Amino acid sequence: MNQRRILSRRALLKTMAAAGTLTAADLKWWEEPLLRPRRAWGAAPVRFQFSVPEPKRNALVESLVQRFNQTQKDFEVKVEFVPQAQARQKLITSVAAGSPPDCCQVWDNWVGEFEGMGALEDLTPKVKDWKHYKDVLPLAWQTVTVKNKIASLPWVVTNDALYYRTDRMKEYGLSAPKDDWGFDDFLAFTKAFTKTDKNQYGFGMRGQGTWAVLYATEFMYANGAQVLKDGKVVINSKEAAEALDWYLDLFRKHKVCPPSVPTDGWRGIVEGFGRGVTNTYIHNSGSAEEQKGFVGEKNFSTVPLPLGPAKKRNSFYFSETLTAFNKGKSRDGAWRFMSWLMEDEPNLMYTKGLGLLPSRKTLFERPEFMHDPAYQGFIKSFPFSIVSPYLAYAGWGGKIDSEGVPLFQQALVGKLSSKEFLDKFAEVLTKNMT
Amino acid sequence: MAREATLAAPVARPLLSRRARELLTGYCYLIPVILALGGTVLFPILKAMQMSLYNHVLIKPQEYGYVGLANYARLLHDETFWLSLWNSFQWVFGSVLFQFLGGFAAALLLHQSFRGRALVRTVTLLPWIIPGVVVALIWEFIYQPNYGLLNDVLSRAGLMTERVAWLANPALAMPAVILTNIWRGVPFFAIMLLAGLQAIPGELYEAARVDGASVLQRFRFITLPMLKPIIVVATATRIVWTFNYADLIFVMTSGGPANATQITSTYTLLQAYSNLDFGYAATLSVALLLIMLAFTVFYLRLTRGLESVT
Repeated sequence: MNQRRILSRRALLKTMAAAGTLTAADLKWWEEPLLRPRRAWGAAPVRFQFSVPEPKRNALVESLVQRFNQTQKDFEVKVEFVPQAQARQKLITSVAAGSPPDCCQVWDNWVGEFEGMGALEDLTPKVKDWKHYKDVLPLAWQTVTVKNKIASLPWVVTNDALYYRTDRMKEYGLSAPKDDWGFDDFLAFTKAFTKTDKNQYGFGMRGQGTWAVLYATEFMYANGAQVLKDGKVVINSKEAAEALDWYLDLFRKHKVCPPSVPTDGWRGIVEGFGRGVTNTYIHNSGSAEEQKGFVGEKNFSTVPLPLGPAKKRNSFYFSETLTAFNKGKSRDGAWRFMSWLMEDEPNLMYTKGLGLLPSRKTLFERPEFMHDPAYQGFIKSFPFSIVSPYLAYAGWGGKIDSEGVPLFQQALVGKLSSKEFLDKFAEVLTKNMT
Repeated sequence: MAREATLAAPVARPLLSRRARELLTGYCYLIPVILALGGTVLFPILKAMQMSLYNHVLIKPQEYGYVGLANYARLLHDETFWLSLWNSFQWVFGSVLFQFLGGFAAALLLHQSFRGRALVRTVTLLPWIIPGVVVALIWEFIYQPNYGLLNDVLSRAGLMTERVAWLANPALAMPAVILTNIWRGVPFFAIMLLAGLQAIPGELYEAARVDGASVLQRFRFITLPMLKPIIVVATATRIVWTFNYADLIFVMTSGGPANATQITSTYTLLQAYSNLDFGYAATLSVALLLIMLAFTVFYLRLTRGLESVT
């Protein structure tokens, strides 16, 4: 019995000595990283959830995180990649379960839902003391301000414009659309661009996903319609119905859109243009870099959306945000990482790599954005860009997708008239003004 | 020291009789199975039933609470639910009927002796081996109206002048997804029925031949009755399976366009996954369970006795 005790004590001493030697050897590299940066003992890593719309972003974000981790030694950031289709659900379930990531990248139309759940860290005091606060575009702050609180950092911003093929425009003897073109010019342009014998269509309309409804709403706004007026939903107005009829007729009557429209989501419209099936489509600047690879940098350009009969137009402006959660375990670390991503080099790396625009004026005004033809339509649209009216209520976020889009598709395929769709849609919005 | 006399102590009467102890031991052996099945089958069903009585929308935690049968009342007035139920019946019966016919034909063919039979059997199995999501992606590409295989083949063959939007046209979307499901499900019936065919004693056919029975008579009076038990079980399984099967439609159309392919299982998924309305999604699940239970009872009564035919 005694002998066994002595032996175990010896073993314990040996183990302690070995552990001490290893620790000492390890500490030697504390200030000078050998394989990777050292972290302060016990510092919890910052969990950053990134929703991935396309695989290209993984490497870019991974490299940004690595760069950040090399710049400091107090803690490290661990990135969790989640496919975009599941990102919203993952975040909401993690918030409901009480273990959200410390920070995440999400589109501004999700932020309201998180705020409604009481899950967001109020960044207002930190932002007001932040050195780049005044450099960020005021409209960008508007996209991330919920109930007078700044809920996120607007990492990048973008708005909508029309992509069109310049090479085919020359081939068919067409002139480039002017910046102040109208609905009739748009119809004529897309008609001239439709060559069904060549399997080419004038306009790649989106029929699936939330933005199918948002793009249609932009045309309604051009005819003087509004989503909300004096706190009431008025999207079923006469102006809205007229504009929607005109817009849907591009597919139903004029046949300037491919037959796949009702099932074409974001990938459908981007790939349709990239594969040469469509000659124009509406999207944000996020697919500009991708189209440079698909159709070639010199073969396309962008132009603002057309003016409507009411001589109005709006491009919906939105941001990709960096948002922190109040139940996060490393809230200060999350802020340090998020604000670092807004610095010149990492911000330019991200925006330029993806075709999105920086929210900081000093970066936005740089020649690589201001003089690139692929961005002209977006830059020229900034003066009449507004924050999406569907950001007004958190309850609208998921409902547009689950109830609005199927109704929109019914109007698209002629099962509902434009007015019937808008009446039903207004009902959905009114019910969910929470 | 004098030794104490040992007296035979009376044997204490056991608390339980031998029979009761044996019975108890038997039930103890069942405990792991009861726990496993209870935890994985019974508990989720009971939990879903409980959730269906609550307003449980994840993005509205402040509104969480007991609502009694309000979700069931909502279901009764939900037009999309009734549409999805009707779509489900089309989806299930359209798929299973043709899967069965195709599978039966394939089984009869594979039961014959011919060169390369092993290869044909393997190829027949392929659609069943490929994961459902991959099948959906392959067929989505085939149906793609702008650069898909089907339109390309038809237009090259001169059979099509205007491109058809197979999945984007509400009138064609359901037949298109059913066709995909038929393609996927034929091997299931082929395998089941082939196994049944191989179990039929050859003497029966020999005797029928001697008695002068024709091919059709042999099929009607020997093959079909002998296969009936397998047909009943395989069809019932497949119907329940298809009713709950959401992968294909979810990937190919997400229930669209305009809810044309929205079946109850994809609608439940939509409520739980997109709207994060777990209370209503649980109500839909309970409704699905009840429908399937009612169907199974009805089907088994209808085919009573057939499964015991040997």
